[in-house]
Amino acid sequence: MKAENDELIKEFSAEKIDQLDEIIAKFKGKPGGLIPVLEEAQVALEYLPVSIQKKIAKGLNLPLSRVYGVVTFYSFFTMTPRGRHTVRVCLGTACYVRGGKALADVIEKNFGVREGETTLDRKFTYESVRCLGACGLGPVIVVDNDVHGRVKPGKVKDILNAYN
Amino acid sequence: MAKITIEDLKKIKERVHAETALRDGHLRVKVTVHMGTCGIASGAKDVMDSLLREIEEAGVSDVSVTTSGCMGLCSREPLVTVEILNQDPIKYEYMNSNKMRQVFKRHILEGEIQNPFVLARGAETQK
Amino acid sequence: MKVFRSHLLICGGTGCHASGSLNVKKALVAELTKRKLSEEIKIVETGCNGFCAMGPIMVVYPEGIIYMLVTAEDIPELVEEHLIKGRILERLLYREPTTEEIIPTMQDIPFFALQELRVLRNRGLIDPEKIEEYIARDGYQGMVKALTEMTAADIVQEVLTSGLRGRGGAGFPTGLKWKFAAASAGDVKYVLCNADEGDPGAFMDRSVLESDPHAVLEGMVIAAKAIGSNHGYIYCRAEYPLAISRLNIAIDQAKEMGLLGRNILGTGFDFDLEIYQGAGAFVCGEETALMTSIEGKRGMPRPRPPFPAIAGLWQRPSVLNNVETLANIGQLILRGGAWYASVGTEKSKGTKVFALTGDVNNVGLVEVPMGTTLGTIVFDIGGGIPKGKKFKAAQLGGPSGGMIPMQHLNAPIDYEKVAELGAIMGSGGMIVMNEDSCAVDMARFFMDFCQDESCGKCTPCREGTKRMLQILVNITQGKGKEGDIELLEEMAPIIKDASLCGLGQTAPNPILSTIRYFRKEYEDHIRNHRCDAAVCTALFKSPCQHTCPIEMDIPAYITLIRANRMEDAYKMLLRTNPFPSVCGRVCDHKCQTKCRRGKMDEPIAIKFLKRFITDNAPRPKTEPVPVTRKEKIAVVGAGPAGLTAARDLALRGYKVTVYEELSEPGGMLRWAIPAYRLPRNILANEIADVTALGVEIKCNIRVGRELSFSKLNKNYDYVYLAPGAHKSQKMGVEGEDIPGVHGGVEFLRDFNAHEDAWVKGEKTLGSKVAVIGGGNSAIDAARVALRLGTDVTILYRRERKDMPAADEEIIAAEDEGIKIEYLVAPLKIEAKDGKVSGITCERMKLGEFDRSGRKKPVAIPGSAFTLSVDAIVASIGQAPDLTFVPKDSGVIVNKWDCFDLAKGSKSRTTDARFYAGGDAVTGPDTVIGAIAAGHQAARDMDAAIRMAAGEPAYEEPTIEKIDIPLIIDEEGEEAPQGKMPELHGPERKTSFVEVELGFTMEDAVKEAARCLRCDAEI
Repeated sequence: MKAENDELIKEFSAEKIDQLDEIIAKFKGKPGGLIPVLEEAQVALEYLPVSIQKKIAKGLNLPLSRVYGVVTFYSFFTMTPRGRHTVRVCLGTACYVRGGKALADVIEKNFGVREGETTLDRKFTYESVRCLGACGLGPVIVVDNDVHGRVKPGKVKDILNAYN
Repeated sequence: MAKITIEDLKKIKERVHAETALRDGHLRVKVTVHMGTCGIASGAKDVMDSLLREIEEAGVSDVSVTTSGCMGLCSREPLVTVEILNQDPIKYEYMNSNKMRQVFKRHILEGEIQNPFVLARGAETQK
Repeated sequence: MKVFRSHLLICGGTGCHASGSLNVKKALVAELTKRKLSEEIKIVETGCNGFCAMGPIMVVYPEGIIYMLVTAEDIPELVEEHLIKGRILERLLYREPTTEEIIPTMQDIPFFALQELRVLRNRGLIDPEKIEEYIARDGYQGMVKALTEMTAADIVQEVLTSGLRGRGGAGFPTGLKWKFAAASAGDVKYVLCNADEGDPGAFMDRSVLESDPHAVLEGMVIAAKAIGSNHGYIYCRAEYPLAISRLNIAIDQAKEMGLLGRNILGTGFDFDLEIYQGAGAFVCGEETALMTSIEGKRGMPRPRPPFPAIAGLWQRPSVLNNVETLANIGQLILRGGAWYASVGTEKSKGTKVFALTGDVNNVGLVEVPMGTTLGTIVFDIGGGIPKGKKFKAAQLGGPSGGMIPMQHLNAPIDYEKVAELGAIMGSGGMIVMNEDSCAVDMARFFMDFCQDESCGKCTPCREGTKRMLQILVNITQGKGKEGDIELLEEMAPIIKDASLCGLGQTAPNPILSTIRYFRKEYEDHIRNHRCDAAVCTALFKSPCQHTCPIEMDIPAYITLIRANRMEDAYKMLLRTNPFPSVCGRVCDHKCQTKCRRGKMDEPIAIKFLKRFITDNAPRPKTEPVPVTRKEKIAVVGAGPAGLTAARDLALRGYKVTVYEELSEPGGMLRWAIPAYRLPRNILANEIADVTALGVEIKCNIRVGRELSFSKLNKNYDYVYLAPGAHKSQKMGVEGEDIPGVHGGVEFLRDFNAHEDAWVKGEKTLGSKVAVIGGGNSAIDAARVALRLGTDVTILYRRERKDMPAADEEIIAAEDEGIKIEYLVAPLKIEAKDGKVSGITCERMKLGEFDRSGRKKPVAIPGSAFTLSVDAIVASIGQAPDLTFVPKDSGVIVNKWDCFDLAKGSKSRTTDARFYAGGDAVTGPDTVIGAIAAGHQAARDMDAAIRMAAGEPAYEEPTIEKIDIPLIIDEEGEEAPQGKMPELHGPERKTSFVEVELGFTMEDAVKEAARCLRCDAEI
C-alpha cells in the first residue's frame, strides 16, 4: 500500500489520495461498481493515469487489465491531465449542419490545439463531442457545464476569453 | 414527508390542482420560467435571476415563480409563461433579463401585455 | 470580427425623421463619444418599424427593448440608465395599445396546433422538481390502477392491445417483450430504462427526463409489476447532467412518499430503482451492450439468443425499454389500450415524438400521431426551411437511418413506411437538410461516427466501417474512382449480415440511402469533381466560383475592385464571360446562394459588383482573330448560347456565320428582357465585340424559310443549333384563341419590335390586363404593361414563396404598384363582341407536395369569380419552336420539343455534325446557363474536329498573368449586403429608363470588402 502511494504522491496530494480511498471503499463489493468508481475518481482527480488504475484495481479486487480496458473503452475517461476548463464543440449532426465545423476550426487555429489536446497554459482542453442534445441551439459549444448556443465563429474567442 | 396512501394521492391531486390554477386567493400571478437544457443554454438562468430580483425590489408577495421543462419550441428559448388570475396565460419568447424586467414592470405589475415579446396566449393542452 | 456589446436601432423611416429621429441620432452620437462608448455600442439606422405614431422609435439590442417618443433631451439619461447601469428607462418604454385580440393563441400557431401531446402532455406545465404537480395532472394514477386493480397478465394484455412498439428504434411490440419476460422463470428480474440517447440530433429522451421525470418512473413501476421485478436501473448518459439531477430528485421524492421502494402505497408491491451513468460510448445504447456496461465491463454487445427476457442483466430475465416508451405507459394503463390505439396507422399506433432540427425554422420537440406526413412535420409544424432555401431531405434514425428526399414529402411516417423508404424510425431524430447539404458528405459524416463508435468486437463492423469511410473520404476529396459506388454497395450487406448488434447492422444505412436517392451526386464527385452543394472544399477554390455555371473567378475580380484595379478586373471577367455587363444586370446569380458570407449575415452582391466593373472601367479592346482553319461553322440563333459558341470558335481560328431569324441579334436578351432591366446599348456593345473578332451575324434569316435546312447541311461542316425557346405554352382553357389573349414572350417580342407603336398607343392592351404566371417573363410582361399605362394584376396559382421569378423582380413589381393575386388559376376567357372582356378564375388551396417539393394547388369547388379585363398575357412557360428541323434529318427532337443529345455528350445531337445548346436543349433556363452551353459546344466541336483530323488537342494561348492581391480583414464586422440604388419617382413607372442605377465607388469597395476570400490558401 505504501509503495503504491509513493508513486501517486508525486502527482497527487495526500488529500486527493484519501478521497480516492473513500470512493473505492464506497463501491467495494458492489456488483458493477467499477464504472461509478472511475467516474467519481475522475471527477476528484481530473484524470486516471495507470498509477490510479492500479490502486483502483487492487481496491476493487479486479485485474488491472479489466480496469484499463474500461478506461480506454469509454470516451468519458482520460489518462492524461486536463486543462482547467474543458471546451467541447458539438459536431453532432444538427450542429454540423449549422456550422459546428467552423467553430472547431477557429479554436484549433486560435489556440493551437488539436482535438483531445490541452493548451500549453493548461487552461483549456479541447474536445469534440457527438451531440449534446441541445440541437435546438446549434451550433453549440460547451465550456465546462455552460452551454453556449447559436455561436458564430467570430464569437468563439470572446466566449473563451471570459474564462480564467 | 410521510408515506402516503392512495387516498392521500387523490387529495394531493385535488389540492395541488387548485393551487396550480391560482385560486387559493393569495396569489395573483404565476410566472413559469421554462428551464430545460435548451432554455438554460439560451439564458433562462439570467431571466430567472432578474425576475427574482425585481420581485424582491418591488416587494410584492402575490407573485409565485416556478420552473418547468422545455416547451418543445427550443429555437425560441428562453420562454416564460405569465399567468394572471382569471386570464389566459401569456407565453413570451426569446426572453432575456432586460425583457423580463420590462415584462415584470409592465405586465405583471400593471397588466399591460408586452406584445412585441409575445409568442402566444393560452395553453397547449386544455385540461 | 468586431463585436459590439449593444446595437441601437434608430428608426430612419420617414415618419420618425419627421418626428425628429435625426436629432436623436446626433445627440446619441455625441453622448456615446462623450462617454467613450463608441467602440462598444453601435448605432444603426433602420427602415420603418411601422409604429410611426410612437416615433421616434429606438430599439436596443441584444435585449430588444423598444423605447418610444424618444427626444434628444432624453438621450443622456437613457445612455446613463440603460447602457451604463443596465437598467431600463421605464418612462420611455413602448406601450402597446390594448389589443389583446391580436395575440395568437397557442392553437393558432401550427407548431403547437398540429401536435398531439401524450408523452409530452406535461411539458411546460409542471415543475419537474415537484412531485405534487405531476400528481395533480393524473400522475401515478395509472400505477395505482395497475397495482390495485390489475394482474400482471392484465397489464401485459392492455399493452398488447395498445399496439405500443418500442420507441428506441427497432419498434418491437412492448407488450410482447413484457410477455416474454413475465413468462421467464426466476425470482430476480430487472426493469431497465434506456436513457443513453446517443444518436446525434436526438434529444427527445433528454427533454422528457428533464420536464417530466415521474412519467418514466411510473412506467417502470408498472413494467415491474407486469414482469414480476423488484429492481430497476435507469441507464443515462453522463452528458445529460440536468436530466440526471432531476431524475435523482424525482426518485427521492417518490421514495419519500412511498411511491417507490417497499410496499408501494400499501399495496404490498416492492420496487426499487437506481440511476446508472453511462460513460460515453454510443454502442451502449444497444441492449446487451448496455447490460454489460451496467455490469461494470466494457460495453460490448453479446450474441442473442439468449434474449434479455431470458438472460439479461447479471444473467437474469430483464426488459429494457427506452424513455419515451415508458413515458407512455402511465396514461396507457389509466385510459386503456384501446384509447392508446385510437390514433396512428394500422401497424403503428399512438404518437411519436420527433426531435426536429437542422435547417428548419422551428427547431424543437414535436409529438404527432403515427402516420403524419413528413411534409406536415417539416413545413407546417416546422415552419419550412429558413432563408428561402429548398428542402433536400430529412435524415431519420441518425447514423443508423437514412434520408427521405423531397419526392416523399407526402409519405405518412410510421415504422413500415419509413423502412420501405430506406430509413429507420430510430429514436426519433429528424434532421432537416436543405440544398446546401451534400449527400456524400453526410454519408461520410455518419460513417465517421459509426467507425469511431464501433466497439471492435465484430471484424466486419470494425474493419468494414473503416474501409467504407476511407472510400467516402476519397470521394469527397476528389480521389474517388469508377467502381467505388459499386464497392460500397457490395460491402454494405456483408457488414449488415455479419455484425452482432444494431450498430454494425445499420451502419451502412446512410450510405445505401444516399446512393439510392442521390447517386448522381456520388457520380458527380467521382467523375466531374463537382459538389453541387459546394460542401466538399477539396474539390474547388471557392463556393461561388464552383457554383457559377461558367466558373467565373469571382473572388479575384472582387479583390481587384478593392484594390481599385478596374481594368484588370474587367479583363478577368472577359476571360470566362463574353457578356459580363449583361450578367451584371440580369444573371440569376446562383453564386450568391452558396456564398459563405451568407451563413454569417448576407451573401456578397456579386452581380452588382460585376456590373460595377463594366460600368466603371473602359472595356478592353477586341482585336479580330485571323481565320486559320478550313472548317466552316454555322450557328443557328444569335442568343447568348449561339454568340458564346461563335466567339469561342472564332477565337480558335474558325470561320463562323450566325443566322438569326429576327431583325437584331441577342435572343431573349434583346427580345424578351425589357430595356429598363437591360438597356439596348449595353447589350449591343457586348455583341459588337463578338463581331469584332470576325464572326458574321446574318439577321432576318430563318432556317427552313430564307435558308433551307439541306443548304445549311451542305454549306457548312458543322452546325450549332441554339434557337432558344420563343413560343409561349398554352394555358389549356376555353377561349384562349380570342383576340386580346397574348403569350408572354410573344407580347414582349412584339413590344420590343414595335416599341414606338406601343408607346404612342397605336398598339394597346386596353386599360386593364391580367398576367398569368409567376416566372421572370410574367413579371417582365407585367412591368412592361404597367409602363404602357395599364392597370396590371398578376394571377399566380401558388404562393409567393413558390414563384420561380427572382425575388428582387417580384419586389420591384410590387413597388411599382402591380397587384399580385396568389392561389388563383384561370378557368375560362370571357369574350364580348369577339374580344376579351374578362377572365374567370378559381381560387386554389394547397394540397399534397409535388415532386418539386412545393405544395400542389387544388381548386376550391364553387370559388369561381370573373375579373373584367381588356387583355390577358399568358406567361406560364415557353417551349422551343423546332419545326425548322426536318423529321428525316437525323437530328432528333423529343416530346418536350427540345433537341435530344447523343448519349454521353453534353452538346452533340444525334447527328455527329450537329451540336445544340441553350434553351432549345434544356427548356427555358438562364442567360448564364446558355453561356455555359455555348462554351461547352465550342470546346466539344473543336475537339471533335481536331480528333477527326488527327490533330493534337487545342492549347489555350498563354494569357497575361493578373496578380490577385490577398487583402483579408481579420476583424470583419457583421453588415448586410449593400443596397442597389434605384430610380424612383414617376419616371420609373412611365418610361423604360434603367431602374437599377449601379453602385457608387464607395458602395462597391465597401461591398467588396465583405468578401471572406474563401479561395485563399493561407
